[in-house]
Amino acid sequence: MTDKEVTRVEDKDIERMQAPETDAVYVPDVDICENNERVLLTADMAGVDEKSVDVTVDSGVLTVEGRAQLDGPAGYKLVGQEYGVGRYRRDFTLSDAVNTEGIKARVRNGVLQVTLPKQEAVKTRKIEIEA
Amino acid sequence: MLDLTAWPRNPWSVFDELESLQADMDRAFGGWGRGRPWRRRKAYPLMNVWSSQDGLVVDAELPGVDPNDVDISVLGDELTIRGKVNAGETPEGETYHRRERPSGEFARTLRLPFRADAATVKANYKNGLLRLTVPRSEEEKPRKVAIEA
Repeated sequence: MTDKEVTRVEDKDIERMQAPETDAVYVPDVDICENNERVLLTADMAGVDEKSVDVTVDSGVLTVEGRAQLDGPAGYKLVGQEYGVGRYRRDFTLSDAVNTEGIKARVRNGVLQVTLPKQEAVKTRKIEIEA
Repeated sequence: MLDLTAWPRNPWSVFDELESLQADMDRAFGGWGRGRPWRRRKAYPLMNVWSSQDGLVVDAELPGVDPNDVDISVLGDELTIRGKVNAGETPEGETYHRRERPSGEFARTLRLPFRADAATVKANYKNGLLRLTVPRSEEEKPRKVAIEA
């Protein structure tokens, strides 16, 4: 590891330490399944909607990010907290088999679904056997 | 010695899986959960709880559930959320590489610091969060007693 890299890591750690609690970053639970046509990524991101979620692909890395709102009821005091509210983020490395142009995403009921179509070349084809 | 603690009237008893949340609430309400260590256990659904004189607001993290599959009941001072999530079968031709999201049936009971009337409980489901508003009935509301001069 070079000096430059060490510095970068430390800066990131400081940034994380200084971030207010509501800015904590959570790793969403995901299901990843695949069929012949596409890979489907499903991420639990309670509290996000289509406006507060971002899906990006950069150099073969798919990043899903979202921000949940903590709107406590007015006039009430938080007395028990089991889950934190803040940012979600998780990175996934894509294989060459994914056609990045055709990626689609949607959010429903706090669940993000990303459909990653496969390149035509990698789809399994059934070869008809001639009689 | 006379016990002058008027509220909450009873120490909250705790359902096993609820320990951490209950301990939190106990602390917030004044130390009923003496010496109970913080324990992180994966209960489902996870809850955040707010309180005021008017009652409680309970948020439960339930991403992806169909509201029709969730059943909320109140009996005395017990609030129960039960239902199923991601319970569908794997479609033909699908291969799973990761399966981290919870699936199956769930049930969780929270003991409230007051008796609630089921008819007054409101439930709202948005963006994977279930919000329950549990009003305190008039007779359960803390009253301020004026001191006569």
